[in-house]
Amino acid sequence: MNVAEFAKENKIGIAGVAVLLAAAAIAAVAMDLPLWDIVTVGFVERSFQAATPIALTAIGGLYAEKSGVFNIGVEGFMIFGAATAATMMWIISGGDPGQSDIWLAILASMLVSLVLAILFAILMIRYEADQIVAGLALWFIGLGFGPFMAVLVWDSRNSPSLESINDLTIPVLADIPVLGPILFDTSPLVIATAILAVVAWKVLNDTKYGYWIQAAGENPEALDTAGVNVTRVRYAAVIFSGVMAGLGGAVLLAQAGSFTGSGQTMVGGRGWIGIVAYLFGNYNPLGAGVAALVFGGLDMLQIQLQTVGIEVPNRLVNLFPYVGVIIVLSVWGSTRTPSAVGETYESEE
Amino acid sequence: MSGTSGRLYDALDRAADRMLRASVFERLAIATASTALALLIGVSIVAAVGYDPVQFITSLIEGALGGRSAIARTLRFSTLFILTGVAVAVAFRAGVFNIGVQGQFVVGGITTIMSIIWLAPLLPEGVVGGVALIIIGTLAGTLAGGAYGALPGALKAYADANVIITTIMLNFIATGVVGWLVQNPLRGEGNAAPNTERIPEYVSFPRIVFDSSGFSIIGLGIALATVVVIYVVMERSRFGYDMVTSGHQESAATYSGVSAKQTVVSTMALSGMVAGIAGAVFAIMIQGYYTDPSGIGTYGFDAIAVSLLAANNPLGIIPAGLLFGGLESAGSHIGIYTDVPVQLIDGVIGLVILFVAVPELFRMAAARTGLGGDR
Amino acid sequence: MEGITKRFGDVVANDSVDFSLEEGSIHALLGENGSGKTTLMSVLYGLYEKNAGTISVNGEPRTFDSPRDAMDAGIGMIHQHFQLVDSMTVLQNIILGHEPTNNGLVDTSEARADIEEICSHYDFNVDQHLDTKIQDLDLGARQRVEIVKSLYRGADILILDEPTAVLTPQEIQDLLDVMEELADAGHSLIFITHKLGEALQTADEITVLRDGEAIGTVDAGETSEEELARMMVGREIQFDRPPRDPSDGASVLEASELRVRDDRDLEQVSGVDLSVQEGEILGIAGVQGNGQTELVEALTGLRDVDSGSVGFHGDDITETNRRQRIRDGIAYIPEDRTTEGLVQDYTLVRNALLGNQTVKPFVENGMIDWSAVDAHAGDIIEEYDVQPPDKSNEAKSLSGGNQQKFIVGREIEHNPDVMIASHPTRGVDIGSIEFIHDRLLELRESGMAIVVVSSKLDEIQKLSDRIAVMYEGEFIDTVDPVETTEEELGMLMAGHNTAEGDVAGENAPSGGVQS
Repeated sequence: MNVAEFAKENKIGIAGVAVLLAAAAIAAVAMDLPLWDIVTVGFVERSFQAATPIALTAIGGLYAEKSGVFNIGVEGFMIFGAATAATMMWIISGGDPGQSDIWLAILASMLVSLVLAILFAILMIRYEADQIVAGLALWFIGLGFGPFMAVLVWDSRNSPSLESINDLTIPVLADIPVLGPILFDTSPLVIATAILAVVAWKVLNDTKYGYWIQAAGENPEALDTAGVNVTRVRYAAVIFSGVMAGLGGAVLLAQAGSFTGSGQTMVGGRGWIGIVAYLFGNYNPLGAGVAALVFGGLDMLQIQLQTVGIEVPNRLVNLFPYVGVIIVLSVWGSTRTPSAVGETYESEE
Repeated sequence: MSGTSGRLYDALDRAADRMLRASVFERLAIATASTALALLIGVSIVAAVGYDPVQFITSLIEGALGGRSAIARTLRFSTLFILTGVAVAVAFRAGVFNIGVQGQFVVGGITTIMSIIWLAPLLPEGVVGGVALIIIGTLAGTLAGGAYGALPGALKAYADANVIITTIMLNFIATGVVGWLVQNPLRGEGNAAPNTERIPEYVSFPRIVFDSSGFSIIGLGIALATVVVIYVVMERSRFGYDMVTSGHQESAATYSGVSAKQTVVSTMALSGMVAGIAGAVFAIMIQGYYTDPSGIGTYGFDAIAVSLLAANNPLGIIPAGLLFGGLESAGSHIGIYTDVPVQLIDGVIGLVILFVAVPELFRMAAARTGLGGDR
Repeated sequence: MEGITKRFGDVVANDSVDFSLEEGSIHALLGENGSGKTTLMSVLYGLYEKNAGTISVNGEPRTFDSPRDAMDAGIGMIHQHFQLVDSMTVLQNIILGHEPTNNGLVDTSEARADIEEICSHYDFNVDQHLDTKIQDLDLGARQRVEIVKSLYRGADILILDEPTAVLTPQEIQDLLDVMEELADAGHSLIFITHKLGEALQTADEITVLRDGEAIGTVDAGETSEEELARMMVGREIQFDRPPRDPSDGASVLEASELRVRDDRDLEQVSGVDLSVQEGEILGIAGVQGNGQTELVEALTGLRDVDSGSVGFHGDDITETNRRQRIRDGIAYIPEDRTTEGLVQDYTLVRNALLGNQTVKPFVENGMIDWSAVDAHAGDIIEEYDVQPPDKSNEAKSLSGGNQQKFIVGREIEHNPDVMIASHPTRGVDIGSIEFIHDRLLELRESGMAIVVVSSKLDEIQKLSDRIAVMYEGEFIDTVDPVETTEEELGMLMAGHNTAEGDVAGENAPSGGVQS
C-alpha cells in the first residue's frame, strides 16, 4: 500500500509518535538535555527488555479483539503468569533455581495460562459473559490469587530472589555496532518476542486463519455464510490472548528474577498498557511491538534520566501514554475497532 | 454514534439488559448464587491449601459482624461501596459505561481535602466552622468529580471517543497526577510519607452510635440519602426518565425529544458527582488527609460489580453494598487475625464479580435442575 | 419449490408458496415490503428452516440446513446487506472460506488466476481491483464483488435480494446488463424486488407475492405494469371512502423546497413543497424508499434539513428540535413502533409518558406525577380499545395492532394541531386498522391537519383529501383520490407521470399542487 493509505491506516500510531517526538524535542531544547547521554545503547537494550512483556500481551490482546472479543482481563492473565512462573520455578528447583528451571517455569506457566484461558473463553463465548465485567473480574481474581500463591509458598507476597534469565550472546551478530548488543546480546526472550511479532503479523495477514479472525471481528455473518465456524475462530483467538498475556507475565518474571506481589503486583498495569499498545499500533502486531517499545522506553527513561542527574516526576512521565490515547481518540476519532467487537454471534437456524 | 463503537455498546447493553430483564426473584437468586459459589470456591481453596475451612468461615463472619468495631468497619466499607455503586448504576442505567468511577472518586477526594485545608484559616474554628467546611468540602468534591466525569462524557458525545477506554485512561491519570501532587506540591509540611496535611480536628463527622475513628453514622446517612435522592431522580424526574429511556432504547428516547448527546454528558456528570460525594466522604470520614491513590482501594472498580449485582437499581445497591462491605471487612479481619492470606478475599470478590457477569451460567443451571420457576 | 410454508411464531411469512426457476432465465420475485419474498429466498438458501414444502434442484429433492449446503448445491445469494468484510480486500473477500493455500500461506496467485478466469467471461472489472479494500469501493462495485464471490464458489443459480435498492440509476443499468450476461452464459437468476419497472425490463418471468401468498407467475413479455401493480397491491377489503366536505381551513404545516439527506449522506428528499390545512388529510403515497422516511423525520424534527424550510402556523420551525415541536403541537405516529414508538421493556404506563415529558400535568417542574400518567395510560387503553386492557403489561407483550392503537391514542391525546402518521397500519390486524382509520377521520372532522404516509393504496385513497405521490425524493404529482384510479396511482408510484406521459426522473415536474 502506498504512503497515503499507510498514513490513513495508522493515523493514530503516527499521531502518537509525532506528539511524543514533539514533546521530546521541546523538552530537550527547553531543558538543555544531553541527549546522547540519555539515549545510550544500554538504554535501548533495556527498553527492548522492558517492552517484551508488553508486546507479548499486546499481540495476544489484539488477536482477541480482532476476532470480536475484547479481552480486557489481560492484566489478570499477566499476574497469574508471573506468579505461576515464580512459584513453579521455586517448586521445580526445590528452592534453588537455575537457568534451566526458568525455562521449565515459563512452560508450566503457559500451561496454567492455557487452562485459565480456556475457562475464560468458555465463559465469554458460550455463556455470553459481559466482556467488560468478566475481564475486570479476571483482573481482581489475579490481584487476589496471584499474591495468594506467593504467600502460600513464601509466606509473603514477595518472593525471595530467584533467578533471572541470562543474556544470550550470538557470536558474530553481537559485534554489530549498536544493533548488536541490542538484539543479539540480550535476553533470548527479546529475540523470541521479536520473531513472534513477525510471525503473528504474517499469520494475521497472509494465512486463511488470519482472514477468518479478521472477518470474525468485522462481519461474522459474512464469515458464517462463507461456511466457517465463527465460534471456533473466536475461541482460538481468546485462548491465544490469554496464553500470550500469561507468557508476558512469565517473561516479566524471568527478566526481573523475583516476584513482587504487593500493591498492584510487579505487573503494575502493564496489561493495560498492552491494550493501549495495540490500539496505538492499530491492531497490527508489528505496530503493537513498536508501541510496546515506546512504552518500554518511557519505563526505563526515568532511571536513565536519574543517572544523568535529571529528576523528572516518574509518575507524570508514565501518564503520557494515557493522555496520548485520550487526545488521539478524541481528535482523530475512534480507533479502527473491529465492527463486531462485543457482539455475541449466533448462527441462524 | 459511529457504527464501530456503537455496536460494542449495543452488545454491552444487551448483556446488561439480560440481567435487567430478569425478574426481581431471578436477580436475587443470581446474586445469591454468585456469592455462594464464589465463597464456596474460596473455602475449597482454603481447605485444599491446608487451612481450616470452618475456622475460615467463622473468621469471615466474625470479621464482618463480630462486635461493634467489626460492624463499624463493615459499615465503613459499605458506605463507600454504596456511594460508588450508585455512581456506576446511574451511568449504566442510562446506557453509558462509566468505568472511571475510581478516578472520579479520587479527584473528588483530593478536591475535598484541599479545599478544606485552604479554606480552614478563613473560617472560625469549632463546630460552626467544621460544619461549614464539611459542606463546602463535600460540595467541592462533588463538583470536581462531576467535572471529571463530564469530560469523557463530552468526548463521547461530541468527539465519538470510546468511553470505556477514556474512562480507564482517566483513572490512571487521576491516580498518577494526584499521586504526584501529594508527593510534592501538596505534601504536608514535615510529612515523611507522601500525604497532604491533615484537615483540622473539628472537621469531622460526629461520633454517634459507633465510637470509631474511621466511621460515623453520618457517613452512612449521606450514602443512604444519596441513594434516595438518586432513586427519586431516576424514577420521578423527567431528567431521570429521559436518562433511563436512553439506556433502554435510544431511538425511542430520541423520538420523544431527548437529545442523546446532552443526555450522555449529563449522565456522566451526575455519575461523576456521586463518585465525588464518595470521595468526599472517604476523605472526611475515613482518611482525614489525602495520600497516594494507588494505595486507597479499588472501590470504583468493585462498584461495577456492586451495581451489576443490584441490576443497576439504586435501591438494590444498598444490600449489594452491604454485602461487599462485609466481604471487605471480613478480609481485613482475616488478614490480621488468621493465617489465611487476605488476598484470598480479593480473589473471592473477583469471583463474585465474574459470576455476576455470567448470569447465563446460572440460568442454564437453573433450567436444567428445574429451579427458579418462571423460566 | 413447492408448497413452501414458513412461520415465525404467529406470523405466516410464506403460505404454501410454489416457485420454479427455469435454467438460464431471469426470474423476478415481486412484492411489497413484508410480502414474504426475502423469507422465501432465505428458506432456499438454508438460512431458515421451512415448516412445510419441498425444494428440488435440477429434479433432485434437496434439503438445506445451512448456507453451506446451498452453496454445495450451486446456489449463491447476494444479500441486500452485503456480506463483505469492509477492511479486507476484494481478493480476500472473494476467497473467504475457500482459500487456496500453499505451505500454510494463502496462495494469492492461484486465487488471482481463478478470479481473472471467471471475470474474463463477463464484463466485470472486478479483477482490476483485487487489492482494493471493500470500504473504498462504491456500492455498485461491491455488489459485483459479491457476484464474483458466488461465482467463485461455483454457483449456477444466483439469488439477488433487492439488488438495486442502494444503486444509482447508472449502476442499476450496469447491474441489469450484468444479469443478462450471466443468464446468457447459462446461469439462472432470481432477483427480489419491489420495483415494477425493473422486473419488467429484465426478467423473463415474474412471480408476485402478497402477504405471504404467491398470487401468480406471469411471463414478462406478456404482462403490463398495470397488471403487476394490481397483483402487488391487491384488494383486501373494499374500503369505502366516506363522503366529506372539502376543507378550507388555514394552512397549518408547510414545507418549502425541502432537501434532506439520509445517514449515508445521500439526498433522499429533493426539493419538496407541501402544505396541509386544518381539517384536511394529506396522503403521501409511494413505494418505501423514495424519501418518505426522511421527509417525515424532517417535519417532526428528528432530522436536520439540508436546505429549505418547514413552517408551522406561519412560523419557521426549521431549526427547532424535536422536543420543541412536540410542545408546539406536532404529534407523530412513528413508522417503527418497536424501536421508536414504544420502549418494549416498559409497561404501558411508562410508555404513556413517552413524548409527554413536557406536558402538564404529567410533568411539572421537572418532576413526574406518576398517578396522572397512570390514569392517562388507563384512559388511552380504554378509549382506544387496547387489548389486553392492563396498563402494567409490558409493551412487548401486546400484539402489533394493539401497540399501534396505544401509540395512536397517546399521540392523539396530545391534542395536537398537526398529526403525522407514518405507515400507521403496517402489520396491524384488520379490526385495529378500521379503528385507527375511524379515529383519523374523526380528527379530520374536528379540524386537525393530518399527514398520512403509506404504501397501502387503499388506505391512502380512503383517508386522503389529496394524495401526493412521492418518487425519488420528489412529489411527482398531487392528485384527487376521487378521480384517480388505483392503476393510475400505481403508475405514479412507479415513476410514470400519467399527466405528462413521461418516465419520471428525466423531466418530472416536482412539487405539489397547493389548493
